Amino acid sequence: MDALTIPPVDLGLIAPLLVVVTWATGLLLVDTFFIPVGRKKLTGYLAIAGLVVAGLVGLPLWGVSGSTFGGMVRLDPFALTLTWVFLLIGILSITMSLDYLPRQDIEQGEYYPLIMFAVSGMILLAQGADLIVLFLGIETLSITLYILTGFAYPRLTSEEAAMKYLVLGAFAAGFFVYGIALIFGATGSTRLSEIGAYAADRDLGDTNLTLLLGGAAMVLIAFSFKAALAPFHMWIPDVYQGSPTPVAAFMSVGTKGGALAALVRLLFEALPTLNAYWLPVLAGLTALTMVVGNLGAIAQMDVKRMLAYSSIGHAGYVMLGVMVAGEQRGPEAFIFYILVYALSNLGAFAVLIALEHQGEEAWQLDDFAGLYQRQPLLAVAMAIFMFSLAGVPPTAGFMAKFYALTAAWEGGLPWLALVGVLTSAIAAFFYLRVIIRMFMTEPEGEPAPELNRGLTIDIVVAAAGTIIIGLIPAPIFALVERSAVALGG
Amino acid sequence: MLEPYVPVLILFLIAVFIAVFVITLSALLGPRRSTPRKLAPYESGMDPVGPAIRRIPVKFYVVAMLFIVFDIEVVFFYPFALVFRQLGPAGLVIMGVFFVVLLVGFIYEWKKGALRWE
Amino acid sequence: MEVVVQITFGVIAVFILVAAAMVVSVRNVIHAALWLIACFFGVGALYMLLEAEFLAVVQVLIYVGAVSVLILFAIMLTRQITGEGVRQLTNRWPVVLAIATLLFATVLAPTLINQQWNVPPAPPLGTPEPIAGPAELGRGFVNEFLIQFQVVGVLLTVALIGAIVIAYEERARRRKVLTLAEELELKRLREQTSPTVPAPVEAEPVVQESRSASER
Repeated sequence: MDALTIPPVDLGLIAPLLVVVTWATGLLLVDTFFIPVGRKKLTGYLAIAGLVVAGLVGLPLWGVSGSTFGGMVRLDPFALTLTWVFLLIGILSITMSLDYLPRQDIEQGEYYPLIMFAVSGMILLAQGADLIVLFLGIETLSITLYILTGFAYPRLTSEEAAMKYLVLGAFAAGFFVYGIALIFGATGSTRLSEIGAYAADRDLGDTNLTLLLGGAAMVLIAFSFKAALAPFHMWIPDVYQGSPTPVAAFMSVGTKGGALAALVRLLFEALPTLNAYWLPVLAGLTALTMVVGNLGAIAQMDVKRMLAYSSIGHAGYVMLGVMVAGEQRGPEAFIFYILVYALSNLGAFAVLIALEHQGEEAWQLDDFAGLYQRQPLLAVAMAIFMFSLAGVPPTAGFMAKFYALTAAWEGGLPWLALVGVLTSAIAAFFYLRVIIRMFMTEPEGEPAPELNRGLTIDIVVAAAGTIIIGLIPAPIFALVERSAVALGG
Repeated sequence: MLEPYVPVLILFLIAVFIAVFVITLSALLGPRRSTPRKLAPYESGMDPVGPAIRRIPVKFYVVAMLFIVFDIEVVFFYPFALVFRQLGPAGLVIMGVFFVVLLVGFIYEWKKGALRWE
Repeated sequence: MEVVVQITFGVIAVFILVAAAMVVSVRNVIHAALWLIACFFGVGALYMLLEAEFLAVVQVLIYVGAVSVLILFAIMLTRQITGEGVRQLTNRWPVVLAIATLLFATVLAPTLINQQWNVPPAPPLGTPEPIAGPAELGRGFVNEFLIQFQVVGVLLTVALIGAIVIAYEERARRRKVLTLAEELELKRLREQTSPTVPAPVEAEPVVQESRSASER
């Protein structure tokens, strides 16, 4: 047998990923060996440090485009910007967990490395250029989230949520693998670029085309499940309600960002020739998602459940950008929406955590009654997040929605943009309901919720980000525009 | 090619045949006289103690799960072991990285005391 | 030879389908688990038929060997072990079956109908020969599947952490895990208090420590 040459590997291109994974594995050991029980916050600080370092390591990579590991992993500004967004999501989630975990008496050091592993899965999804890599990324993210969902052990709802999520998630993973097998059967490759080239260069013929379509359908089902598009969204409310609040916050933005980033690549690198087939399907799913998510949220009296439904609705708005990612505006809208949604949603969940006493849930709408008189600043912050999620100017949410809707309009999906506008109007109802409760009703004798440092930082950062991006969006627009160049070309 | 497995197939068929044959034969020809002793659960000749079906502690399950993880790891080692001479030092480094990641998991579970049986 | 392969495939396929149907229809959970193991075995035989010997061995090793044990343990953990007389199927199972078949068919029917089986697809662009055999796979691990291989390592570690976090002990009476510094301190204390009998009580104090810690 001939000697083997190992292809050149440029570790620099996956530097942020590498830092996150190495740091997380190291942190796991440091945590078990050196950090005593009761002082696990230290692990959290170290995890935040790791994510920050990973972000800094990514700085010199700005503008670099290239692939390594034999074309299995890709780095371009699109992936890099998303990486930063994911790191930010990780940092904010950990910050809001620091005090939440001991307060709920569920503190275990593994929590923080697990969040880091989940972030690494998301980064892998943004960078992956191969179906198997994408699958592994999704699984890294999902398995971590199964564990984190069940983290609040004595609480039955947490166990229930973990169980539901695991069973349905495993089912979706099965679809993914089946889809990969069919696509491989049709094209003989799992690499996105090769699949795309194969489909573009040759007349596929009935045989391979049908195989490829079947495979693509399966894979799309799996992605729709992870991103919670409409007929595959059933698990969302129960899982979000049951899981520890910071985990729900992390999931709501993390899985969407990761899965849809991978979907963008899949659609526009591997399956652009099948555009005529998947566009109507995805457009239908998106419309349904926006309608179901926003209508479902109206009926919810539980704010955490309401946010869960709203996250389904927002998945629809993110999808607007995904579907037209062939145009320049598409990926821009996608990244911008994910960033803004992450800030607003994480902020809203942080407020929920602030209201949550030990072991007792305080997420009913009535618990928000008169919050303004009890905790004016908290109420104002919550109002900012609600306005942003509803898409009211001058918050960032308005810019994001505007961006996504115009992208869809220009990208040839005007009817979908109209559906988006209509559902946003519906959405305003239940977001504003929370605000009205907070400002216009009398408090019902609840003790003032206590704020701690981590939460305060979180809420302030999120609120400031939401407002600043809403008022001065230009720098972020510039960043997002440059990130999207590589993908459009 | 599949030819080498034809004897295996035949062996398998013979085994299935013998098993089915013997069971059918004893069912047809054997006398059926049940005594209380015969109907008692079989516990290696001892008198049965307690019910045969009972709940087991969760630690069995943890051990089984850890076993699966390391089982899969070993499966990954096997193809590598076949070709490690060809791969040279670079292959060793790659395998080393894989191994170290899992070693971390192992040290972690050891320190956690999951391997201790009380 | 071809005919033998076809017949073998038919037998195995029928066996797998029957076993799978039994898994979801028998009333005794343990029997369902055993049928599932039979099903795993059939899939292993199918791999063998496809000349993927390594995969077949792995299937037997992991699924028949390890996963089945896990499933049986899981059943033995539950309160009502055999579930005798518990119907697995709802009364309306034919309706469910019809809907499931319909959904599955809508996705796969076009593929299955238009597919001309036995016609190998045109060779894909720039892809090396398909991987055959464990040695090829071993080479693939350091070559084209390097990143996947490493990520799998991370994934396994995460699964291991999950196993311990979720199931290790009942977490309500969690054992206190000491840090290295605390362990050394404990050892030093023990040597000070009872220098004559150091060896036999080696592991014991940690446990006692944990009890008192969990009773807090």
